[in-house]
Order: sequence, then structure tokens, then C-alpha cells
Amino acid sequence: MSNPEILDINQISKHFERKVALSSLSFSVKKGERVALIGPSGAGKTTLLNILASVIEPDEGQVFLDGEPMQEYADRKKFAKKIGIIRQQFDLVGQLPVIHNVLAGKLADWGFAKSILSLLIPQEKEAAIRSLERVGLPDKVYERTANLSGGEQQRVALARLLVQSPQIVLADEPVASLDPARAEDVLFMLTKLAAEENQTLIASLHSIDYARKYFDRLIALKDGVLFFDLEADKVTDEQLKELYQLKELVR
Amino acid sequence: MNKLSLAYELHKRKLLTLLLTGVFIWSLFAVQWSTGLIHGSGLATAGQIFGAMFQPDVSADILIIALESSWITLAYAAAGMSLAIILAFFLGIWASGVLASGAKSRYFMKGTFRSVLGFMRAIHELVWAWLFVASFGLSPYAAVFALAIPYGGILGRIFADMLNDVPKEPIQALESAGASRIQCLIYGYLPNVRANILSYVMYRFECAVRSSAIMSFVGLGGLGYQIQLSLDDLQYNEVWTFLFFLIGVVVLIDLWSSQLRRRLAL
Repeated sequence: MSNPEILDINQISKHFERKVALSSLSFSVKKGERVALIGPSGAGKTTLLNILASVIEPDEGQVFLDGEPMQEYADRKKFAKKIGIIRQQFDLVGQLPVIHNVLAGKLADWGFAKSILSLLIPQEKEAAIRSLERVGLPDKVYERTANLSGGEQQRVALARLLVQSPQIVLADEPVASLDPARAEDVLFMLTKLAAEENQTLIASLHSIDYARKYFDRLIALKDGVLFFDLEADKVTDEQLKELYQLKELVR
Repeated sequence: MNKLSLAYELHKRKLLTLLLTGVFIWSLFAVQWSTGLIHGSGLATAGQIFGAMFQPDVSADILIIALESSWITLAYAAAGMSLAIILAFFLGIWASGVLASGAKSRYFMKGTFRSVLGFMRAIHELVWAWLFVASFGLSPYAAVFALAIPYGGILGRIFADMLNDVPKEPIQALESAGASRIQCLIYGYLPNVRANILSYVMYRFECAVRSSAIMSFVGLGGLGYQIQLSLDDLQYNEVWTFLFFLIGVVVLIDLWSSQLRRRLAL
């Protein structure tokens, strides 16, 4: 493949108190790949995503983002151009109208004066409306965000990501609090938009079915170590069974 | 032994309740019920005062005085609150530490500005009023500053606490979208606390009206001053007129506040 590696994770470890969250984990992700992180609760998926989002730092090892070590991106505005994050639906400011939550994706480019002016007269409105149209919410532009349903709120978060337009999208359990129909809808849109924008997508998921259906590559974590790293259609049911097996049952 | 200490752990609150109730009942024996509880003519005076409640003085000149002094009281309260809101807005934001970038500077900012707010509200508005009357004389500035300082301290403290209680997820999301501290403040923190802070400000405005009335006992004019004059003349009917005006102002503010809150909740 000629695709360059955009993310290179090199021997990272992380401990919390005495508990090992990740131990010398290594893998790399190519540009445009759609990767699902799977594994039982407590396997270290969220810790890994938080390290990639530079919310926390690894105790050992390094992460290279587009060829440069993560520390080079200490400037938050520069980092936001590289990596964007979507979490569960509690991510939005419910008291603001939808348009301001979408335009928050522009805050990295805006100075103080422009961002305060935008709360009075929305700036670069067209960009926000265009991305709301793409996620299928063209009629909710001025609605109070808290009044939207869970699925709609996740679409607003997607619209914000479109406006932010990072190269890599990290999704931490993006559909965890949605019912199956809404979850499929949001996942379909997330993967479709990432493909259209030529973005790299890394998502942690609880559901194996969704992971297989919407992603190219599955990375399984168990107890902080890499359990397998395979193309989505090469993963067997035995491997999955072993991944989610409870320790007590093995003995 | 173990069983006993477990039983103690389970029932220690009830034991304390029992003990405190006992202390209260015991304290009742210290009261001399027969004499000295109410002075001789006290009941008669109380009767007159509460009797006058049903016959407030509604003569034209008293009503005009009441209207004028309500206006003064309200004006002092409004001016004092406006100043208090400005003080509380800036001091509260600094005291919450949400603008600080590092843990150290946050600790320093929180410590400093929380102490400033503490100092402002530790002294009661009446005491501030005395101090300002002593320095400025009987000018409206004395009343306005006397209200603004302690109320700024109270509002600022509550404002800072509210900012600290804002849920973390939306703020983190803004940060990861590349927002600076001040952008997080205007897009995340402030919209989050807006409705709560407004309703608290309105409640405090009510309190300010009452305080402003009380403060005028110092001689600053307003409803409290008129109440004092009428009381000195034993004109209880007039006292009640002024009190009803005070109640009216407070009720009006309450109506306004609930209307505002309803509009904001949409």
C-alpha cells in the first residue's frame, strides 16, 4: 500500500495507581483507514483514545502523529487541525442553539473578538448550515441543542467535526447511549463522512456487529495488551469468544 | 463487642437526636414563664400593631410619601445590584479558576480571589452603610456602595461555585476542538450557568430591596426611614402602609423573575 502512516503508536504503557491500563502497546494506522477498537470493559480502549487525544500522557513509549512526536502538538489549535474527537452525546453545550455548537468547530481558527461576535451574529454561517445539511438536520439550525434527541445531538457533534475538519477522527463509544436504530444511523453517517472527507477514523465500540459492518480493521485489546489486529472480515467467532470470555470461566 | 459497636454505628444519629431533644426540653425549665417573658403592656401594643395591619393609612399624602420612598429604596437596590453584578462577574470568573492555564496558577487565582470575595461579604451591608455614611455622609453613594460590596461578594462566590460545577464533558469537547480558555468560557461555561445565575441574581435583587429598606434606618431615606419615623410617632397605620409597599415591590420582582426564568428555560 502506498498510503503513508499517519499514526504510529510505539510501545506505550500506562498505569493508574497499581492497575495496568496499557502495557507496551504498538501499532500503526495508515491514512484513511477505519479502525475499530474492541475488547471487554476495562481493556484499555478509553485510555488509549485519551492518550491519542492527548488528554493524558503515556508513562512510557511514544505516539507519532504524522511523523512528529505528539509533544510537538502542544498548541491546542494546531492539534485540533490534526485530531478531532467525538464522545457520547453529553459533548455538546445544551443551552446554546445548534448553530453555535457546530461553529465551535471553528474556534481553533477564530480569535476572541470573532468568537464573541459570533454568539450575537453567527459568523461563517454557510459552513455550519452546509454541514448540518450533510448530517440531515437542515431544519434545526436555531433550535436549542438540549431539546434535540440523543441521535440528533450526535449528528450535531458530527456536524461540528465537519466544520473542524481534522485529519483523524477519534470516536469514544460514539453510540453507547443510543438505541440500535439510532446507533446504526449515527455509525453509518460517521463512517460515510470520514470516507468522504478522506479522514482516518479510530472508534472504540462495544458492539462487534457494528465493528465488523462499518470498519475495515479491528484492533482487539484485552487487559491492556493487543489481543489481535486483523482485517474486519478475517476475524473469526472463536477469536471473539476468547476475547470476551470471563477469566473465571477459563479456569 | 463487635456487635455492640456495630449497633452503635447504626444508631449513633438517633442517639444524638435524642440527646439534643433532651437538652432543648431541659432549657425550657430555665425560662420564667410567669413573669418577665412579655412586659406588662407588650400584649396590648402588639394588639395595636397587628390591628393596624387591617387599617393601613391610605390618605393621599401618605401614599405619595410611600410611593416616593419605594422608588428611592428600589433605586438604591437596583444601582447597588448593578454594581454588584459587575463586581461578581469578574471576581467570580477569576475566583473559579477556569481561566487559569496551569494547576499552580489556578490554585493561586482561586485562593486570592476567593479571599477577596470572602472579605467583601464577611462584613454586613449595614456595617458597610455605617462606614460609608461616616466617610461620605448621607449621600446615595453610601447606600449604593454599602449594597454593592457585600452583594458582589455573595454573588461572586455563588457564581464561582456554579462555574466549578459545570459538567466536564462539553468543556473537554470544546478544548479538543481547539478552543482557548477564554473561548471555553464564553462557549461552554457561561451558557451553562446563565439560567441559574440569572435566577439567583433575581433572588438576590429581592434581598437587596429588603436590605435597602433596612439600611435607610441609618438615615439614608427610603421605606425604612419612613417606617422608623412612623414608628416613633406610634402611627402603626402608616407603618403598615409602608410595609405593604415593601411587600408589593418584592412580589413584583418575584413575578418578573419567574417570567424571566420561564423565558430562559425554553
